[in-house]
Order: sequence, then structure tokens, then C-alpha cells
Amino acid sequence: MILAAPAVILLLVFAYGPMAGLVVAFQDFNVADGVFASPWAGLENFRFFFTSGDATRIMRNTLLLNVLFLSATLAVGVMLALMLNEIRGKVTKRFFQSVIFVPYFVSPIVVSIFLQAFLAGPGGRGGLINDAAGLFGIPSVTWYTEPGPWPWILTLVKVWQLGGYMSVIFLAAITAIPEEVYEAGEIDGASRAQMAWRITTPLLKPTAAILLVLGVGRIFYGDFATIYAIVGDNGTLFPTTDVIDTYVFRALRTRGDFGVTAAIGLVQSVVGFVLVVIATMVQRRYAKETSIL
Amino acid sequence: MSAHHTFSRRSFLAGTGAAMTAVGIAACGNGSGNGNGSGSSTYSLLLPGDTPTDWTRVRDAVNEKLRADLGFEIEPQFINWSNFANQSLLKFTAGEDFQTSLSARWLNIAQLIEGGSLQPMDDLLASGDYGNLTAAVDESAFDANRWSDGNVYGVPAVNSAARIHCYVARGDLIDRYAGGEITSFDQLEQFWYDVHAGEGIVGYVKNNSVFDVLGAPTGTMFAEGWESPSMIPLYFSSDSLLFVPSRDAASSGVTDAVPFWEYQPYVDALRRARRYYEDGIINADRLNVDSATAGALFKSGGAATTWAITDGANTSAHLSQLEAAVPGASLVTLLPFADGMDARPNQTFQADNLVVVNAAAADAEAAMALLDWVSIQENHDLLQYGIEGTDWTPVGEDAYEPTSDYANFPGYALSWRIPLERRYSRMSESEQAWFEWSKDYNNFTQDPFAGFIPDLSAIETEHAQITAAIGEYGNPLWAGAVDVDEGLDNLKHAVEQAGLATVQEELNRQADAYLAGQ
Amino acid sequence: MTATVERTAPVTRVRPPSRRKSRRLEPFTIASYAGVICFGLVCAIPFWMVVAGSLTAESALSQRGYSFWPTPFSLDAYTTLFQGTRVWLSYGATIFITGIGTAIAVAATSGIAWVIARGLPRVSRPLAVFAYIPMLFNGGLVPMYILITQVLQLQNSWFAVILPLVIAPFLVFVQVSFFRATPQEILDAARIDGAGELRIFFQVVLPLSKPVIAVIALFYAVTFWNEWFHALLFLSQPEKFPLQLVLQNLISSVTNAAELGTTSAAPVYQMRLAMTVITIGPILLAYPFAQRYFVKGLTLGATKG
Repeated sequence: MILAAPAVILLLVFAYGPMAGLVVAFQDFNVADGVFASPWAGLENFRFFFTSGDATRIMRNTLLLNVLFLSATLAVGVMLALMLNEIRGKVTKRFFQSVIFVPYFVSPIVVSIFLQAFLAGPGGRGGLINDAAGLFGIPSVTWYTEPGPWPWILTLVKVWQLGGYMSVIFLAAITAIPEEVYEAGEIDGASRAQMAWRITTPLLKPTAAILLVLGVGRIFYGDFATIYAIVGDNGTLFPTTDVIDTYVFRALRTRGDFGVTAAIGLVQSVVGFVLVVIATMVQRRYAKETSIL
Repeated sequence: MSAHHTFSRRSFLAGTGAAMTAVGIAACGNGSGNGNGSGSSTYSLLLPGDTPTDWTRVRDAVNEKLRADLGFEIEPQFINWSNFANQSLLKFTAGEDFQTSLSARWLNIAQLIEGGSLQPMDDLLASGDYGNLTAAVDESAFDANRWSDGNVYGVPAVNSAARIHCYVARGDLIDRYAGGEITSFDQLEQFWYDVHAGEGIVGYVKNNSVFDVLGAPTGTMFAEGWESPSMIPLYFSSDSLLFVPSRDAASSGVTDAVPFWEYQPYVDALRRARRYYEDGIINADRLNVDSATAGALFKSGGAATTWAITDGANTSAHLSQLEAAVPGASLVTLLPFADGMDARPNQTFQADNLVVVNAAAADAEAAMALLDWVSIQENHDLLQYGIEGTDWTPVGEDAYEPTSDYANFPGYALSWRIPLERRYSRMSESEQAWFEWSKDYNNFTQDPFAGFIPDLSAIETEHAQITAAIGEYGNPLWAGAVDVDEGLDNLKHAVEQAGLATVQEELNRQADAYLAGQ
Repeated sequence: MTATVERTAPVTRVRPPSRRKSRRLEPFTIASYAGVICFGLVCAIPFWMVVAGSLTAESALSQRGYSFWPTPFSLDAYTTLFQGTRVWLSYGATIFITGIGTAIAVAATSGIAWVIARGLPRVSRPLAVFAYIPMLFNGGLVPMYILITQVLQLQNSWFAVILPLVIAPFLVFVQVSFFRATPQEILDAARIDGAGELRIFFQVVLPLSKPVIAVIALFYAVTFWNEWFHALLFLSQPEKFPLQLVLQNLISSVTNAAELGTTSAAPVYQMRLAMTVITIGPILLAYPFAQRYFVKGLTLGATKG
């Protein structure tokens, strides 16, 4: 038990300590009075978000994008892990593992610079995709003013960024599967594909379940860093890309009010909490062995 | 086997041990932030932007002199632009001990004043202790920036009487495509189209800005502004909805401000922006490009003109890099007023940048002393241009030639003073002429709403929601990225939902009160 | 004793399937190669373009965009960046933050993860919830700022950057799920030998858990390496800025409503790309080394006693 002490202390100080500041969500926060002395405002801070008329759309975007991101990265992660597992030759395997992990190191700003090169060239016209399409006589698209495709573009970006990362997690899980498990399959003369699908994949369920439950808890949090770096203040894309976190960020910039930020943060947390409780209950009921809480 | 195990355990323990020791050291070894190593105190300041090259060397020289003159040193914190607004607000909010910061209406000055974070300056200025400061900054400049509660909260950091939005253009292309001179907006537009046809580059490049289109009073795509530079819109904040006051408000005393779309020249400008976008005259990535990237396109020869302002920094900002990319290129600063230098544009003289003193600072008088100290030519030069002889050499009366990499000190956040500024030695003739012109208060007409700074505390929520709507529907209009009629319909709808009526009424009420008080 | 068996046994046990594989190429294997190669290319090409772009002259870059080949070739960005001490200092900062941060993080995380994984009645479950809650709730910026700068007085200390990040609930659970797979027989055997809980953890569990430790260490290291936000919040002396913050500053150095000129002639496009290369470079070079251990660790972990 003593082993947990350092972590418990660190969490108490750096995670639970600042939570006292959540009172700001119920305050008419002002700079001079500070966090604990500002006057109470009841639910006024929550009103700002829920009466904005954009609330439904923003919440829908947040959920939709997160579901897309989570399912796509999980699926691609499992697939890549299964495929990597087929690769023989230590050096080759390690090489590919390194290569697909590379995007994880690339910061969101750089990702956004890339994306501009692909979707819109210098001065905003052309871009590699349009140039390529032009060769086949396909008319070019002004991507940065078409909100429609952006959920998919952002999902591709996430898959690109995290596919390798996820696959490493799953590959670690695959490697931990004892060889005996496969012996029966070998004796039956199952093909590699059958073994991957029938034996390995089900054994990845616990890992996937953990990732899923952890992801569900954050489903109301937008991926601020990536989305803001790519979309920024480009209003034409807001209909499909504006998530709670980007909205809050802009609100803070224009209003300079930490109360509103805290209020929305609290809503995100509570929704996440409720979802996690539900997910955990479902998990306990149907797949007890994968439960982490 | 046991060796193997012992190793693991030892390394784990070593890790834990290092961790705990580290925490211990951290807990004890603090207090270096506001250190007072040499016996004198060190004051912190907030400055925007990136740390200038060779900053440490110049800072040491500045501190040596400061220590001798005032008995303290400074340790500015440089915060990059994209984080400056939030970070400075956070530091004010947390009650951090720093002396001065940059603030402005486009930053958070309203919230800071409302929250009592800023030191009112009138009494300090009137004390007579800061003679260098009051000599370098005209009293009228303080008055123009008086807050709605009647107090002065900041030193306007400006280097000219008024900063007029204009263009910096490629002189070599003007020679080739426009017969060597451009004197009207029509000629400029023709030049853009000709260069676009002849060179395949955009006519004008810039990141998105409302004032390109809804000029105040001039705008780079606002033709009317160059004919008659007299319209300055009213607004609670510049990233929110702009309102147009009645033309005879000054005489009638009735503001009757309406949303910008009811003012035909502004709608014409939106249509013009749309046409430029579709014809390839302006860059198409205005919505998502940042100013550095847009500037880089011009500097590498990818555009005929870019945005500029009469702050005397057009040539220095672009020339060396442009010359490297396009041999033989030159720069021209363009203000195509129909009346040329006889134009008398309306101005509010409100400064874009104010240096404010943190009310929570340990020593407001020291902060004022610092602002006074940088108002002395020698000190001002040391901070802004570096060490004379090493970093720069004087050229003639009032110019300087940079001789090292020290550059980019954000003088506009501390030390800009009109009489003290030096001119870049290679400044183009046209820029020099317009820069001199813009330093003279007599070249401008005082706007009827010059000192009007509306107070948004009564309509905060509506204002924030309108600002959000402008971000979504307004920005694409300024960029020319959407059809004007459709875009305006969406914008109107969203803004009305967000409480346009309330905000408009509040603005008119306050503006009428202001006019009545004049 | 068990360990000795483990260390020799796998050699014979793991081999056969792989030998079998080399005899017969199945469609799935071929498809896997194709899939991995495609994804690999998708990952590598943009990175190559960054490298090529960082070596391309600014004028070509801003007008023609990116290309596969650096023409005209230019080292301007790198010479500008490596002028002065700034980039070197920031490397030092980043290495400190990453090194010390990862050590603390791995130690603390392993400890709590093991206690959770042990399944102790009335301790493990609450502890898991305790570790998970911070993933959902956080106090926000202002309280955190006040805590670090005023209560703990950690301003301008690299520990202000490190300490808030040392426990990632996600990685705690990654580790818990690995610890749970520790074969009960080994623990029982150790207990019969009379080993205490601490001794079991250090002498039995940790050696068996090298793979997890390698995984979480890598992930923590990446987190610390990429960290800039806490550095922005808590560090004000430019000499202490880590690499990512320097990159941030560089990228966003000239943007504001009242835009102001600069006299420097730094190549904007090229410099951003070069800075990216400089930032990713070292961790990319270090990665194969870490991974070597990583893969070895994973193989060890696959053996079940």
C-alpha cells in the first residue's frame, strides 16, 4: 500500500487541490476579488452556453467527432497491430513499428501546416490534392470553405496521428498472449488470418474495453489542440468542427471570464462521469473480467 | 538470477529516490523567480512576442544602467502572441507580482479595469515626478485614451499621431505595370488585375481582418475610404459587430447607430472582397492563414501588395528578405487618397497599444519610474535598438542602421514615444514621407466619437454571443469566401438571435450620453 | 528459480511458429505486409516532405509549396536556428524535463498501479476511482496557476512543468491491466518462500513487468518531450524554455491586431519546418534504441511462467 503513497500525494496536490477552484463556475468572477472572494452568480455562467443557440450543434459535433475519432483509431490500431504481428524479421518489424509511430511526435501545429499544403497551396489556391485531382480533370475544391468533409478529414488526421500509437498498445497486448493459446489453432490447421481473427482479436477485447471506457469519460471533451490548430477561427468550418473546447476558448478570449470556462468544464466533467458510470456498469454486467474500476 | 533482480530493484529505487530528491530540491530551491541576487530588486514585466535575438546581452546592459539610475533591474517575460491575451489575463487574475503589461481594447483592458487590476495614473502623472514621460507623450494622447470612468489607465505606446491602414507595394512591379506611380484606388485595382494576369501572383495578401473591408476610416479593400476617409464605426470590441453612427450625430446629438450592413459603402466593399476572392486577386486562405505566413508570401515575391500601417516599420519589415528572394525588388508605401497628402482622415487617436501598470504590483511608483526612464532618448535607444556601436549606428539626425541581429524589441508594449523614435536608415522615400505626415496631429480630423469607449458590462452575455456569431458568419464575409447576400442573411439571423436589439440600444444610449457630455 | 527457467525456455518455445511462417507465405501475411507498408508510407512521406522543405529556399517554398526534392537547396533555416545558444539551452531544458519527469512518473505510476492491481479489498477499487477522477474533473487554469506559483512557489522551476503531469490516469490503467496478468502462481510461490509484499513487488513483479515499464516510460517521455503549455504558464525566463515552447514562440511570433513590423529576415516557412525537424529529430533517433529494449522487453513479458 505504501507503494501508492507517492502517487496519491501527487494526485492530491496537483489534481485534487485545484478542484477547489471549481467554485468559480458559480461565481461572477472578477480579477480583483480572485477565486475565492468573487460574488456568487448561481447558474448564470451556465446560462451563457446553453442559451447561445449554438449549444446543441456544438454538443453534437463534440460527440460525433469523438465517436469517429475513438472508433477509427481503435479499429485502425487493432488492424495495424494484427498486421505488424505478421511481419517477421525483427529488424523489419521494428522498422515499420518506428515508421508508423512517427506521426505521434508531430505537433498539431505542424499537422495543420501539412494539411494546408495538401488541401490548399500557397495563397490558398491549389494544394497537392487539388493538383492531383486536376490531372484527372476533377475540378478543384476549396476545402477550407466546405464544412461537409471536415469530420472525415479530421478523423483521417487522428488516425494518422494515433494509428501507430494505438497499434503499439495492442501489439504489446498481442505479445503478452501466451503461445499455447495458438497451439490448438495450429493443430487444427487454421490459417494465419483465421488465427488473427478468431484467437487474437477476441483476446484484445480487454485492452479495447479499457481504452473505450477511458475514452467514453472524455467524450464531451473536444480535441482542442488538433482542432484549433487546424480550423482556428475559420468560421465557415464551424458547422461541423466547432466543439465545446474551441467554443470555450473563443468565449474566454472575447469575454475574459474564467467563470464561464469553469462552468462549461464542469458540465463536461459531469457528463463524462455519468457516462463512465454507465459504461462501467454495462462492462461489469457483460464483461466483468475487463472492468478496471 | 539474483543479479538480474537486484538490478531492477536498484534501478527502480534509484528512480524513486531521484524523484523524491527532486521534489525536495524543488520545494526548497524556490524564490529564484523574484530573486534579488545583487541586493537590488528585480521587477517583472509582461511583453508580447518572441524573445528578441541577443536579448540577454542587451538586457544586461539595460539592467546595469537601470541599477545605477533607479536602483532596480527588470526581468521581462516574453509571451508569444497567440497566448498573450489569455496568459496576461491569467497573470492579472492570479494576482501575480509584475509591474507593467501591454493592454488594449482588443486585449482584455475592459475586464481588467472592471476588476480593478489596473493602476489609475492621473495622480501619479500629475505629481510631476515623471517629467520625461509627460514630455515624451502629449497630454492629448492621454486624454484620447481616457476610460469611460474618467481615469487614465495606460501610457499610449505609439510612434505617430495616427496609424492609418494602407499598403506596402512592390515598386519594381509598379514600374512595370502601372507606369511608375499609383495615386488612386482605381489605379491600384487595375494594377492588381494586371499583375495577376502578367505574373500569376495575387494582388494583395493578408490574413483576415475586418478593417480591410469595413475601413476605419481607410481599408485596403474599402474604395470609399480613399475618397472620403471619414467613417469610423463604433463597437464594443473590434472582433464583434461594427455599428455605423449617423453622419450628423455630432450636430444633432443623436447617434442612431445601425449595424454595418445598413451602410451601403460597406456592403459594396464586401462585394468587392468577394469579387477579388473569385478573381484570384486576394489570397484565398485569408480565413486560416496567420499574419507571419501571409507576410512571408509577400516577402518571397508572391504578391504585389500587402497590408501596412503608418508606423514607420514597413520597409524594415519586408525589404531585406524581399531583396534576397527577388533581386532588384523595391518597396513603396501607398496611401492612394483622392486628396493625396491633403487628406484629413478622421481619427479617434485612441492608441492600439497601451502600457498599463498592474495594481497588484509591489511598487507602482517604480513602474512609473521605469516608464519615465524609457522616455529618455538614450535609454529608449538602448532598449529598442540595442547597444550603440554594437547593435546599431546613428545615421543623420534621426535614423539608425542595425548592425547586429538584435531586433524586434516590442517597443509598442513599453517604450514607443513619438519624439524619440528613430527611422530605419533604408526606409523608402514614400514611407518616410507618409510616416512624417502621420506624426502630425494637424493632418487628421478629430472624430465626433474620438473619446467614446463604451462600457459593455450591462450586455456581456449578448455581446459575447454576437461576437461568436461574427466569428462564424462575419469572418468568411471579410475574407470574400462566401456569397455576400447569403452570408449577410446568415449573419443577420445569428446576430438578431444573439440579442442585436439590446446591444444596439445600449450602444446608442451610451453614445448619446457621450455626445451630450461633449 | 522460476526466472531461470523462463529465461531459457522461451527460446525453444517461441521459435517454432516463426520458422513455420517462413516456410509458407499466406495471403494474410502478404496483405499485412502491404497494409503496413502503405500506412508506413502515409506516415513517412509527410515527414520526408518536412525534411525536404526545411532544406528548400524560402522563396520556392512560399510560392510553389512543398515538394519531394529540396530545390533550390538552402541551409538558411538551420544556420539561423543554431545561431546563439537558444536552441541548445532549450535542448537541455527538454532533456531535463523528459528525463527526470519520466523517472518520477514511472516510479509513482508503477506504485499506485500495483496496489490497484492487487485487488485488495476496500483499497484497490477506491484507489482506482481516485486515480480515474482527475481524468474527468480538473480545477481549471486559474486554481492550478495559483497553486503552482503562489502556494508551491515553483515558478521558473522545471518541476512546475513536470509535477502536474506525472500521473496519467490512462497509463495507470494500462499498467494495471498488465500487472493483473502477472501469473498468480509466481506470486503464490514467492509468498510461500516468505517474501513480503514489498519484496514481491521489487523482486518478482517489476522484473516481470519490464515491457509495461518500457511502454509507459515511452509514453511519458513523449508527453514530457512535447510539453509546452505548462512551460508557457510557469516559466518566464527564456533560458529555461523547453524546445516545444521555443517552436511555439517561433510559429506564432508575429500575429496581433495591431501588427507590427520586424527587422529580422528569418525565413518563416522554412524555419518552421526546420524547427520541426530539430524538435522531432532527437526523440526519433532515440526511439529505435528505446524500442529495441521495448521489443526485447515485450518478448520477455510474453513468457508465462
